[in-house]
Amino acid sequence: MSFLERQLEDPLRLARIKRYFYIGLAVIALFEAVVILAPLFMTADPDAKHAHFWFEQIPAWGSIYGLFSCIVIIVVSKFIGKKWLMRQEDYYDA
Amino acid sequence: MTLESITPEWLHPGLLLILGAWLLPLLKGTVKRAAMIAIPAGAVYLCLQMTTGSFGEISFLGVELEFGRVDKLSLLFSYVFSIMALLGMIYALHVKNDSQHVASLIYAGGALGVTFAGDLLTLYIFWELMAISSALLVWQGRQPGSGKAGFRYLLVHIVGGLILLAGIMIHGADVGSFSFDQMKPFATDAGWGPVLILIAFLLNAAVPPLGAWLPDAYPEASVTGAVFMTAFTTKSAVYVLIRGFAGTELLIWLGAGMAVYGVVYAVLENDARRLLAFHIISQVGYMVCGIGIGTALAINGASSHAFAHILYKALLFMGAGAVLQVTGVRKLNEMGGLYKTMPITLGLYMIGAFAISAVPLFSGFVSKSMVVSAAGAGAEIPRPWIFLTLTLASAGTFLHTGLKLPYYMFFGKDSGLRAKEPPTNMLVAMALAAAACIVIGVFPGLLYKHLPMAAQYVPYTLPHIASSLGMLAFTALGFFFLLRQLDPEPKVSLDTDWLYRRGSAVFVQGCQKPLARLENNFVGKIYEFIMQRIVLGTAGLLRSFDTRVIDYAIHGVGRLTRSISRILKSTVTGNVQHYALIMAVGALLLLALALFVL
Repeated sequence: MSFLERQLEDPLRLARIKRYFYIGLAVIALFEAVVILAPLFMTADPDAKHAHFWFEQIPAWGSIYGLFSCIVIIVVSKFIGKKWLMRQEDYYDA
Repeated sequence: MTLESITPEWLHPGLLLILGAWLLPLLKGTVKRAAMIAIPAGAVYLCLQMTTGSFGEISFLGVELEFGRVDKLSLLFSYVFSIMALLGMIYALHVKNDSQHVASLIYAGGALGVTFAGDLLTLYIFWELMAISSALLVWQGRQPGSGKAGFRYLLVHIVGGLILLAGIMIHGADVGSFSFDQMKPFATDAGWGPVLILIAFLLNAAVPPLGAWLPDAYPEASVTGAVFMTAFTTKSAVYVLIRGFAGTELLIWLGAGMAVYGVVYAVLENDARRLLAFHIISQVGYMVCGIGIGTALAINGASSHAFAHILYKALLFMGAGAVLQVTGVRKLNEMGGLYKTMPITLGLYMIGAFAISAVPLFSGFVSKSMVVSAAGAGAEIPRPWIFLTLTLASAGTFLHTGLKLPYYMFFGKDSGLRAKEPPTNMLVAMALAAAACIVIGVFPGLLYKHLPMAAQYVPYTLPHIASSLGMLAFTALGFFFLLRQLDPEPKVSLDTDWLYRRGSAVFVQGCQKPLARLENNFVGKIYEFIMQRIVLGTAGLLRSFDTRVIDYAIHGVGRLTRSISRILKSTVTGNVQHYALIMAVGALLLLALALFVL
């Protein structure tokens, strides 16, 4: 049994991995919020501020937009697929 | 034809591949394997030691051809094309099929020919060479669908080639030269030439609705052939678009649309390599978009993204190909649990997946972001919608290539497939490509110093790293959240290839009914009219003329002859005295005639 297998096959260890995953998410979102907000308060140096669209100034913008994108892509694509695009595998052989 | 200009100092690396390919069938064993590596390695060497300038100028039938336009842009693409040929040959080293190796090398040579072509006619020659040699690679797939897919692929590219040729001829006649420079297809005084050339380029770049040939054909190619196909056709099209159409506004929207289109189809896709093929379209979308934006940063972004993309996409196709090679399974719903027996393949695949997803320290991070920044708030013209669309497609890229595909292929429900790692040469090729992805990601300066334009770009800033990490991490959250939604389904998705796969049949059927109606109601009626009225009427007239006049005359002659004969018969008695009497009467009549009349 390899290392990876031990981690994934054991429910306790898998639960621990999941916990780390959620902690990681929180840390990243926090990190991002700090990085976005910090220059607004700290610096008067115009070069330190990157040019940004207004929405990029939202704290943890990347995290929010990433989650939004992921859900939109899955839901919208599946909807279009079910309603229109997807056909049986032998569609072109018939 | 003068050959003085082909100097020994400048040997075309594409020519080396195209001619060198024909050596392979003559060689055997270790020598052959050495040649399979030495030929593309020689091409890499030729490209690396090349200096800028114009080479290989030939006058042919009064037309000036330039085979070697060497500048920063063509050099950058020649590096990656020749490196890719080398990686592809290493990956294919175990394959005992000469025709496949010959086709692969000629295909790569064609791409180098396109890269160095200084005029449109030279470009066209190599363009067609690529189309034909890559169609051979589809046929070499030797799967049930490969034959037909290869024909469809060839058909589409022949049409594209003809459009290109028409465009070149019209453009050449309009401007009086075949030189290949920036064109303005939508300027008021521009003729049809640049428009047709642009259409042909967009077809090879797989821009929807002209791109359905790509996901149709690539998954049908052989395991090793598909790796070659991912690199050359679309990226040589990106190269010629940079050369000919940088700053064309239309390309911005087409490119952004492409980036999302590929992602949408990838959600629905079940075939592992076809899913990756849709992500080629998505990634080429970033490049096309960058070309459309046309600023120095955007062109650098498109070029560097093409460079990085060729390497990580080849790596991804190598990984999916390795799984296909050892399991014979191509559909995601039949895979799962392979991480236990193929950990090295998994690890190398994931490096490619992180690179395409633009994870910091991998190659996509330093190339893709350049295009996105060129649409960003700091750009000459900020384009928030393009920025948002490209960022959304980025999330989709990680969702599919980094999460969905590896999850269903290597983890997920155990399919019971017990595979082993692929042959060593395949792993070596994958390891080299993976190393390239990491080196470019960690030392972006190595790539940036070869970029064609003078534009500064710093990928590793805190906000950029932070927002990228946030986006990737929360895409992963969304993935696990909606995992059941993503379960692959054994379905195919409609695309514009429907037009020539089913539409043509519908078209024929659609023609048949109106044609039958036309036949019955119109052609038939006219036919009937002509036959019944005119032909039959004339025939009736002729018949009655025949019976009444001609027959009557013939019968009359017959009857007359018979009645005369009857009269004559009564005179023929067989009696000599009667004959003598008649002769005497005759003689007397003649005598009387002579005496009284004359």
